[in-house]
Amino acid sequence: MRDWTLTDVERLAATSVAAPVDAYAFQMDEETFRAFYERTARSVWVYLSRITGDTQAADDLLQETYYRFLRAERAYTSDAHRKNYLFRIATNLVRDARRRHHMTYVPVPAEDEAGALQTGGDAAEQSVRRTDLARAMAQLKPRERDLLWLAYAHGSSHQEIAESLGLKTASIKQLLFRARRRLATLLRGGERSA
Amino acid sequence: MNATECRREQDVLDAIAAGRWPDRCDAELSAHVAGCAICADVVAVAQAFREEHDAAWRDARVPPSGRVWWRAEMRARQEAARKAARPITVVQGIAGACAAGIAAALIGIIWPAVWESLSAVAALKGVKDAFDAGLLQLAALSTSIPPQILLSLGIALAAAIVLMPLALYFVFSEK
Repeated sequence: MRDWTLTDVERLAATSVAAPVDAYAFQMDEETFRAFYERTARSVWVYLSRITGDTQAADDLLQETYYRFLRAERAYTSDAHRKNYLFRIATNLVRDARRRHHMTYVPVPAEDEAGALQTGGDAAEQSVRRTDLARAMAQLKPRERDLLWLAYAHGSSHQEIAESLGLKTASIKQLLFRARRRLATLLRGGERSA
Repeated sequence: MNATECRREQDVLDAIAAGRWPDRCDAELSAHVAGCAICADVVAVAQAFREEHDAAWRDARVPPSGRVWWRAEMRARQEAARKAARPITVVQGIAGACAAGIAAALIGIIWPAVWESLSAVAALKGVKDAFDAGLLQLAALSTSIPPQILLSLGIALAAAIVLMPLALYFVFSEK
């Protein structure tokens, strides 16, 4: 993980930028942003890291997500609406990164898998299950990963998923069914046809 | 119930989210899942994701909000400064192009005369003769060009000498 303290170069850069504060506009003030960030950052990072399969990419995309969110000139009807829009930005950034850098999904390894297997018991079983899931996720299409994560890890409703992914609400049910069926088959070792 | 969803799906998800699945949930729900392909898929997927989500949540180390705000602010200021400086850069570019044009025009005007002088020098045999011939050539050249053109050339040359380094400095100093 990175060290998030300011470097001397960054401090120097902070004093050298001459543009006045009112030359740009953010959609919220610092205090409101901090509160919103505390409520959402962890779930956005978890989402980014699991749909890209890359924790390093998640770090970079998190900053970019919030920057674009702050610069967006949008009106929100509710906090949920705002949060869905944040996830939509994150999803679009991942799509762009996949296209631009030909980013491929690399499963996030289960932490200390070897140690867990030696210890045995629940930790070993959990580690094996996480590895199986990572491998199965790698075989899914990017949109299937996005859909499933939002539905079953994040607990989003069909409407929230549609808003986050830019899809029609009516199509979510069918898409989710197919993606779930495919993943379940992969998790069971492909014994059933998807 | 239809082919893509089951009415007990939400009950299964609630049981998993609450940690009741599989040991502490209703026997009736367990029996339903055993006989329902859709709910069996939901269990397989939702349990796996729940576990992965909890592990990812524990591992997540997000930067502090102040840092994210500060970085966003810095970037927005830099973008604003770049945007504001764009017209100045355009003017600097035009000035540079003008200076280069003047210099090229001057070279174009002077070059035939210079070439003529060089040819004359090369044609002479002795150094003294060449020197004398060069002087003569220059004298002839200066007398053959009308004074108005000579004055214009002098001003243009002086302007180019002053403007060129300035324009080059402004164009490249941004970096």
